[in-house]
Amino acid sequence: MSSLIVLALAYTLLSNASRFIDVDQLPDPLRSTLRPDVLPPTQALVQAIVDLVRGPEKQPPPDEPAHMHHHVHTSDHVGVLLQQGVTLQTSLLITTGRVLFGMVVGAPLGILIGLLIGLSRRVDDYVHPIYVLVRSIPPLALITYIMLWLGHTEAHRLIPIVYAVATTMVIPTYHGVRDLASTYLVAARSLGARGWLLLRRVLLPAAGPAVLSGLRYALAIAWMTAVGSEMLMADNGMGNLIVGGGMWASRFQTRSDPAVVMVGILALAAAGWLMDSGARLLTIRLTRWAR
Amino acid sequence: MSTDAPRMRLEAADVGYTYPGQPPTRALDSLTVSIADNEFVALLGPVGCGKTTLLRIFAGFLTPTQGVVRCDGASVDGPSWQRGYVLQESAIFPWMSVRENLEFGLLAKGMEPEARRAVSDELLRLLGLSGFEAAYPKQLSSGMSKMVEVARVLATDPSMLLLDEPFGALDAQTRARMQDELARLWEQRRKTVVFVTHDVEEALYLADRIVVLTARPGRVQQQLKVALARPRPLETRFAPEFSALKRQVWESLRS
Amino acid sequence: MSLVQRNRIKRALLSLGAIAVVYGIAAEIGRWVLPHRIWMDVHYIDNVELLPTYESLAEELAFLIQSWILPSSILVSTGRILAGFLLGSVVGIVVGLATGRAARLEYVADPWTTLLRFTPALALLPLYVIWFGYGEASKILLIATSVAVVAMLGAHQAVRGVPQVYLDAARALGASPRLIFRKIVLPAAFPQIFASLRVALALAWVTIVVAELIDAKMPSLGYLLALAGAYPRVPQMLIGLATIGALVFLSDMLALSLHAKVTRWMRRTG
Repeated sequence: MSSLIVLALAYTLLSNASRFIDVDQLPDPLRSTLRPDVLPPTQALVQAIVDLVRGPEKQPPPDEPAHMHHHVHTSDHVGVLLQQGVTLQTSLLITTGRVLFGMVVGAPLGILIGLLIGLSRRVDDYVHPIYVLVRSIPPLALITYIMLWLGHTEAHRLIPIVYAVATTMVIPTYHGVRDLASTYLVAARSLGARGWLLLRRVLLPAAGPAVLSGLRYALAIAWMTAVGSEMLMADNGMGNLIVGGGMWASRFQTRSDPAVVMVGILALAAAGWLMDSGARLLTIRLTRWAR
Repeated sequence: MSTDAPRMRLEAADVGYTYPGQPPTRALDSLTVSIADNEFVALLGPVGCGKTTLLRIFAGFLTPTQGVVRCDGASVDGPSWQRGYVLQESAIFPWMSVRENLEFGLLAKGMEPEARRAVSDELLRLLGLSGFEAAYPKQLSSGMSKMVEVARVLATDPSMLLLDEPFGALDAQTRARMQDELARLWEQRRKTVVFVTHDVEEALYLADRIVVLTARPGRVQQQLKVALARPRPLETRFAPEFSALKRQVWESLRS
Repeated sequence: MSLVQRNRIKRALLSLGAIAVVYGIAAEIGRWVLPHRIWMDVHYIDNVELLPTYESLAEELAFLIQSWILPSSILVSTGRILAGFLLGSVVGIVVGLATGRAARLEYVADPWTTLLRFTPALALLPLYVIWFGYGEASKILLIATSVAVVAMLGAHQAVRGVPQVYLDAARALGASPRLIFRKIVLPAAFPQIFASLRVALALAWVTIVVAELIDAKMPSLGYLLALAGAYPRVPQMLIGLATIGALVFLSDMLALSLHAKVTRWMRRTG
């Protein structure tokens, strides 16, 4: 924790350096690093956070001339975002929602496939090669193709996330069933255990730890895919916030404000870390017997 | 002084050790024992009596929480090749060949490659492993692998050997063979040996003296001199003196 | 080759063949059934093959190869990955080894690594573009960053995970800390480091594709996809996807065989 504070302080010093010393006198690369448009000062970051959290101004009443209430935002980037009604909180929530959707739909799918190919050697021989080919295609690359089928819909953005989570969960499940649980399954079967009992009392606990750690990894993948999906094709969510709003054609051509980007990155890192910690605690609680 | 009292190599005076934890575990308590030069001592005791702990203290990996341990009169200050230590678990380096394993201690000493090779050749011959020098540990049986570990420690020619149940994981036949090997090696290059085991027969077969430890916390229960003639061939195991001593030890363990 | 292996290959070929056949049929049916005109945000586009037949795929492939578009895209993208991967893995491994070795260093590096770990690599792209412009540097550095983070974690855990028995045995033989690091820690940690590099490679591919999609410039595989998406020209898109998939698959196979070769000492034969 304290190292974080030290980091924050050091950054504040560095980013404000241009205020106190004439940066142009310094040699490159110091010169090009310490400029405020490269390293946004901490105040700018705070300002951006405040702006984005507070959200768009209320619309002026129609009979008053608009220019009288024109609020000057810290940057165009922020302005564009606020015009679209984007705030930091809503973006974060939206992205989190997409991530959770991807996990809830994709994980069972991937686990199911992993179970099937793990339990039956025959199914493994048939399905595994297909899986290997399918997972070789990055989910976000697919997004361009899916758009042709589904257009700019929410499904179009969510499918890559589901796909990414599902393909990620197959291998840990497979490993858990094949390598970890197989001996126990044989022993239990020879004791006469069948079906549901076998599943719940032997397979689940034996393969569980591998699956759980796979879930943590899939969570990280889901975040990345969600943000990427939003950067490419959404008008809400964190990815959109970072890239600067605007529609597909005009986005990323606009003047990105580094303060906003940094704020976005920090928010994503914080959110990701929170979710991962939660997942880790859950894993620890559920696998107490393995310790 | 022409009559020499045997020189004490290792001394533990009133040693105690407590493992930290919830709750802390008292492994050793007021333990006093001395090992003389060139003596083969077996530490015998039930599971959990602290014999591994004592050995690790002798080896220099643990500092007693109570009492004092001395080696050649000086306090023990950490591991040293002078006190060759063979662990209970398999510690042969899997990424090195047999020869590289054997030469590792010599490498640590800064010996030149030709000199190292000479030593490892000798050891390979001694162990009957000539032809296996380029093999990797995964290709060896567990018995062989353990012998390589013992030889690895012998390579640096320490005057003391600390062995922690080295043959514990082996099957009965291999174990008997390894015991013979060890006895043979010891006859050839006499050293001070502290040998931890829970196997009574093994202790009787190999040692000059048996130190029996109590259950946790470990203390010295009894010390027995093994007055069997050396060298000890296979028949020794069936001699009446052997059985008598065995009974004595069992009784000691049971009390 | 054993019977089991032969069966396995047979079944693999069977299912892959089946997929190919099913696709061919679906494409033929699709020609009649699927819409040919789709809505692209602001207008309709005609003549779109949503499921291109093998015929059109072959045509498109021939065109892309002959016009050198596909080969040059492959070269450029692969080159970027290679550069980023090398840079990132070296930096990541060195830092990971250092933090694994010295607990104090870990304390200092911890907030950095946590931050970088939970930042989706792609989110860094706009920042890198601001800092390094639209050229090669930003993309290569992006890949290097994501690879470095994975490699660093892998190296760190690998060093920490070296079984204590080996360290104890080495110390008991009188080895100095430097010797222990060189001859014990590094070889023991190597398999795990290699495994994390495999993961990093897959991550690098994902990153480069999206980075090229966002900052689409010729020639690159991402650009190929973006272009195909803009027209839209579906055969080109599918070929682009297949090419990327093939490259990912090949590089993973390569990494896997390298791993097997290097960790020969690990597998028990006796």
